[in-house]
Amino acid sequence: MASITLDRVTVDFPIYNAKSRSLRSELIRRTAGGHIEAIDDSHVSVVALRDVSLTLKDGDRLGLVGHNGAGKSTLLRVLSRVYEPPIGRAVIKGSISSLTDMMMGMDPEATGYENILLRSVFLGLSVKQAQANIADIEAFTELGNFLKLPMRTYSTGMMVRLAFAISTAVTPEILIMDELVGAGDAAFIAKAEERLNGLIGRTNILILASHDSGLLRRMCNKAALMEEGRLKLIGPVDEVLAVYHNETPEEVAVPADEAAPAEPDAPLKSEPEPAPEAQERAYGEAEKGTAQAEQAGTAE
Amino acid sequence: MTELDIGDVAELDRGPLPKPPTMKQHLRLAWHDVSHGLVDWRVWLLLGMNDIRQRYRRSRLGQFWITLAMATTIVSLGFLYAFLFKQPLTQYLPYLGVSFVVWGLMAGIVLDACMVFISSEGFLRQVPMPKSVFVHRMLVRNVVTFLHNLIIVPPLFVIFGVVPSWTWPLAVAGLVLFLLNGIWIGLFLGTICARFRDMPQTMASVMQIAYFLTPVMWQRSQLPDRLRGVAEFNPFQAFMSIVRDPLLGQIAPAVSWEVALAVTAIGFAVTAIFFSRFRARIVYWL
Repeated sequence: MASITLDRVTVDFPIYNAKSRSLRSELIRRTAGGHIEAIDDSHVSVVALRDVSLTLKDGDRLGLVGHNGAGKSTLLRVLSRVYEPPIGRAVIKGSISSLTDMMMGMDPEATGYENILLRSVFLGLSVKQAQANIADIEAFTELGNFLKLPMRTYSTGMMVRLAFAISTAVTPEILIMDELVGAGDAAFIAKAEERLNGLIGRTNILILASHDSGLLRRMCNKAALMEEGRLKLIGPVDEVLAVYHNETPEEVAVPADEAAPAEPDAPLKSEPEPAPEAQERAYGEAEKGTAQAEQAGTAE
Repeated sequence: MTELDIGDVAELDRGPLPKPPTMKQHLRLAWHDVSHGLVDWRVWLLLGMNDIRQRYRRSRLGQFWITLAMATTIVSLGFLYAFLFKQPLTQYLPYLGVSFVVWGLMAGIVLDACMVFISSEGFLRQVPMPKSVFVHRMLVRNVVTFLHNLIIVPPLFVIFGVVPSWTWPLAVAGLVLFLLNGIWIGLFLGTICARFRDMPQTMASVMQIAYFLTPVMWQRSQLPDRLRGVAEFNPFQAFMSIVRDPLLGQIAPAVSWEVALAVTAIGFAVTAIFFSRFRARIVYWL
């Protein structure tokens, strides 16, 4: 039995620029009192989720809608236990599989067979269980002898096919997806869909973030609308979609890419003096951008 | 857990806001992280081994480049320092060889510890794995490297006539104690370095200084008497002696074991509090 309870969960991200990430400036800031704090405006945090309460139980198929930067991805990460909320409480019971990054754990230098083991272990399987899945994965991917070659020799489609096959070979109690995952070329889509539908049917709770209304109507029995980090509405799919589309009549089929041009959505909060009324507007994806820029900066 | 429906969400909102976790809960969650990290041994073993395999894939000598690189260093530096320090080569080269191999493990673990969480960003942001898994992965990687380096020692002993000694098992005890310390070092430095990105560079400098201050290429006996007592408090010297001295047929001074055990106790105590407090924040810093 799986269940999810979120009780007024708030998640905020500290945004550290290079300056505030150094220990030295932190020490100066702490010891020099208010002076530098006034000059140093580096302590900014993005509130990604605000007061989100939610309960899900067995049989629930929740569709998640909202603009880019509305907090969908953050909520998915809270639900998959990656982010432990600093404020509020999240109780998540059941095994989780998050199909947001199907390639996680795979190594392009390793062969297909080695990658089946690698990826499976990340999905929580023992080596024995992973080996038991090999036949099924072989049959599904139709990669044949390619499985004996390093994954870097594969085409993108083949890689996706393998990642998809492995990731969907495990049935979790809670399945989390950011857009429907598909597997490569047209000939394969039907087969992949069938496999995915089987998986979704077996899982206790599904949470699917998507911009595709048709898909949400097909897959989900309830929906939630996110807006500026808040859970604005939760209820029957049609009602939620109606509200969502009323607000944004121009939105019909937004490409399934979250990383698409960011929209000014998430409010920024300044930490030294939290002044909710003096909120700055900033790009919703700013957190990601900053993190990546810093990654690039510190990479060897 | 009572069954709540969508309509019951309002129920939740009515009560007082859930309190942030207490220190006791933090400690419990951290313990859960560490204990489950150990249970997930197949994940870190596979990851750690894969790190080594990945680095040397498609190279003809493969991971034996580790051995070769270390052998080159030991032989070239051995000749140079034996000449500079006016030491007999037959004594100095085995000493330097063993010292270097052990130092390689110690410095490798401390420096790698800084990157445990930073370099695992891809995993930590996707799945709720115990964070300690990545510390163990780092330890596996370093132990594998160490074992490759250790290959150099037997030929060195044979060539320079170092005879087997009953003290060798003591070296294993010293090694196990150091690896145990690797767990808190990884959790502690990994967390600090995830938050303060200047720390990995700082630690690189610290380790450079530690290398000169620790008897790796020089010997404890070369220190003037008044400094010898102070030098015993260098934790690197303590761990170095409890692993190296028995390999060379000597018993490490008691003070080395005392310092090493004290460092272990203090390190774990400090890390227990520190890691418990900040464990949940790590993923927000990545």
